[in-house]
Amino acid sequence: MDFLNNYIFYIGAFGLIFIGLYILLTRKNLIKLIIGLSIVDTGVNLLIICMGYLKNGTAPIFSRKGLNPETMVDPTPQALVLTSIVIGVAVLAMALSLAIRLYQHYGTLDMRKIKEQKW
Amino acid sequence: MRKIFSLIILIILALGVYICISEIPFGKPGTAVGNYYIEKGIEETGAVNIVTSIVLNYRGFDTLGEVTILFLASLGLGAILATVQNKTRGVITPPSLILTTACRFLFPFILMFGAYIFLHGHLTPGGGFQGGAIIASGFLLRYLGCPQKRIRQSSFVAIESLGGIAFIIIGLLGFTAGGFFLFNFLPKGVANTLLSAGIIPLIYIAIGLKVGAEMAGIIDTLIEES
Amino acid sequence: MVNPILLIIAPLSAAFIIPLMGYGLKRIVKFIPPLVMGFNLVVSLSLAPKVIKNPIIVFLGGFPPPFGINLYVGPLGILFSCVISLVGFIVSIYALNYIKQGAEQKYHALYLLLLTGATGIVLTGDIFNLFVFYEILCISSYALVGYTGEKAGIESASKYLIQGSLGSSLILIAIALLYGKFGTLNMADMASRIDSVHTMELFFPLVLFITGMGVESAIFPLNAWLPDAHSSAPSTISAILSGIAIKIGIYALCRVIFTIFGATDILQFLMLLGLVTLLVGEFSAFSQDNIKRMLAYSSTGQIGLIVFAMGVGTQYGISGGLFQFTTHALSKSLLFLTTGYMIYRAGSMKISALEGMGKKMPLTSVAFTIGAFSLIGLPPFIGFPSKFMIVYSVLARQSGLYIVFLALVLAGTVIEGAYFFKVIQAIYFKGERKDDRAKEAPLSALIPVIILVLLIIGIGIYPKVLTSILDSSAAELLDRIGYIKEALK
Repeated sequence: MDFLNNYIFYIGAFGLIFIGLYILLTRKNLIKLIIGLSIVDTGVNLLIICMGYLKNGTAPIFSRKGLNPETMVDPTPQALVLTSIVIGVAVLAMALSLAIRLYQHYGTLDMRKIKEQKW
Repeated sequence: MRKIFSLIILIILALGVYICISEIPFGKPGTAVGNYYIEKGIEETGAVNIVTSIVLNYRGFDTLGEVTILFLASLGLGAILATVQNKTRGVITPPSLILTTACRFLFPFILMFGAYIFLHGHLTPGGGFQGGAIIASGFLLRYLGCPQKRIRQSSFVAIESLGGIAFIIIGLLGFTAGGFFLFNFLPKGVANTLLSAGIIPLIYIAIGLKVGAEMAGIIDTLIEES
Repeated sequence: MVNPILLIIAPLSAAFIIPLMGYGLKRIVKFIPPLVMGFNLVVSLSLAPKVIKNPIIVFLGGFPPPFGINLYVGPLGILFSCVISLVGFIVSIYALNYIKQGAEQKYHALYLLLLTGATGIVLTGDIFNLFVFYEILCISSYALVGYTGEKAGIESASKYLIQGSLGSSLILIAIALLYGKFGTLNMADMASRIDSVHTMELFFPLVLFITGMGVESAIFPLNAWLPDAHSSAPSTISAILSGIAIKIGIYALCRVIFTIFGATDILQFLMLLGLVTLLVGEFSAFSQDNIKRMLAYSSTGQIGLIVFAMGVGTQYGISGGLFQFTTHALSKSLLFLTTGYMIYRAGSMKISALEGMGKKMPLTSVAFTIGAFSLIGLPPFIGFPSKFMIVYSVLARQSGLYIVFLALVLAGTVIEGAYFFKVIQAIYFKGERKDDRAKEAPLSALIPVIILVLLIIGIGIYPKVLTSILDSSAAELLDRIGYIKEALK
């Protein structure tokens, strides 16, 4: 129980990452692969946020007087996550545009059937 | 077969994760760097939102890269989808009057809310990226609600470029004024007021407009395809 | 003194300006990349002598590390930035007349952004900043591979994207774990604290780093995307991807292994990886009948050789690896550029379609032969001193295992010689061309080719020009303590 209490967020984050990896390893449809990538991304973002978590912490914003800096969570991971979310959006947009073009060329998104290039 | 193989790989990975992570205590007090930001953030940058002060001041160069990545995505998307011929658009049933009117009514308010978010980035949660995303959602609503209306792509492109150039120029002004790229050279002002934190609100205005234009451009390109 | 930040800012702002020039100034857009890259080349060269004596540390935003981001401009960074801007400059001259299809303006902007990303990676001193620039490099490569919108390009770009972004996610996990452990993102600060933690806990992040960066640098089990992507893109992009992009992956890998982790115990594993990559690459290249695929597989082989040299782990070995990096950047871009117009004139990528080109395109064919000889390692070209350095450094270790490795590497070189001679034979000694379409490449394509040939022969005859920068770069990689001291001064 103690273990769960201490590590529940890590388990969640890595759970998402592993679900995404499993999709990437087993599925063959490009859209599903993109979904898998997106899930991995979400898991990584959650992991970064976890690194700065503080029990009963508050947001690192001094919006009014009397906030105790001791109880604020680490702000660095939040800044990093902002960057990583934007990167995720960019990759997702690129992937979707490639999927659209791929479908126009081949009429399918099944990577098993798209094998004009030898590996 | 493939599934079993993947599961074995994942189990090995999970073991590695366990060994590594069991030494990182969860919910511990902050790190040295994080504590420094919280203690000195307001004094050094003038922004009460410490996350903003990190994003735009301490690690401002990352944000420049981030803005570049979004720019890159919209460029790449345009390049890949540029040469599509025969843009046959399916027959669209015109939306009802209620829908179009409601969209038109809501659109300026969404834009205003987005602008509010990025103008107050140094005071409240939010900032250029979030505000830009809200602005883009306003455009998305326009596209869904009034599908006949198009906004010209070229104006998006101009705002994107100008936003990026403004960011770099502010950085270079800091370079000439203080000797460091992205140096916060303007007066910091009184904390917790709108006109404070030096260059932070200026950069966030540039980023907000740029991100809004970029995301709207991406949505526009993708909608044109479908 | 010129501030090294300009090396990143100049191409970046040029890329932002290019879309604005769509209004009325379309004709001069293609002259921007050579201009900016020429500027970068001059700046890098002028910084080089100062940097060899003392690395320059630039604080961004005026905050000292670990609180702000810093640039660490040491000899290694300047060496890479010189090669990046040199190859970028030459390839962009070639592109003036070559790029006519697709969204032309966007090509130039993407090209500049790719080089911005590469320069940013080699200059930064912050691990998360490195990741951001790494993403800029990767995303612009995906876009450039697919930008023509043709079937093959789109297909290989999607495969590249899936593998590449999975690799980036792995790197990000590793960065998150390291931040959780050390509470810092600065590479020097991280390196100074790495000894305080048990090795077992560091093993997993290190594996993640090697896997993630291995995708971009195409180390053996992760190189499936490379032959597709490099062969289906236009030749200028193949040249820049083969010449620069994959090597940046190796730079990042070396920075992580040598500087951050100081993991000298895994160097033999690195050597083994390099050896396997070399053999797989050369054997696959041997069985190709498509010239661009052959060159792409040969890149894999060369990457293997560079990783192998890095794995030797002595001052001399690393210098040899960096020299080989320069050799490959120059020779492989020469090969891709010359085949670019040959393929264009012949209308096919088959090696058999190039028969008899030696008479019709004499200058291009000679340049191709010089590039091939240089990669094989024949004197008096640049490949000879670099390969010689690697061989010498392995022999200097005086261990039986290393000798066996060396024998395998030399076997790989023999195979390399075999397939290049096959192509040269086809160009010069087989068949007669009757068609009149095959004529010499235009002047804008010949100038960069001639510059590359002169560089290859010049450095090959007088390799001492590079000695001082190569030695101090190798010293920078090996001297962790010095790096930490300089960066956190």
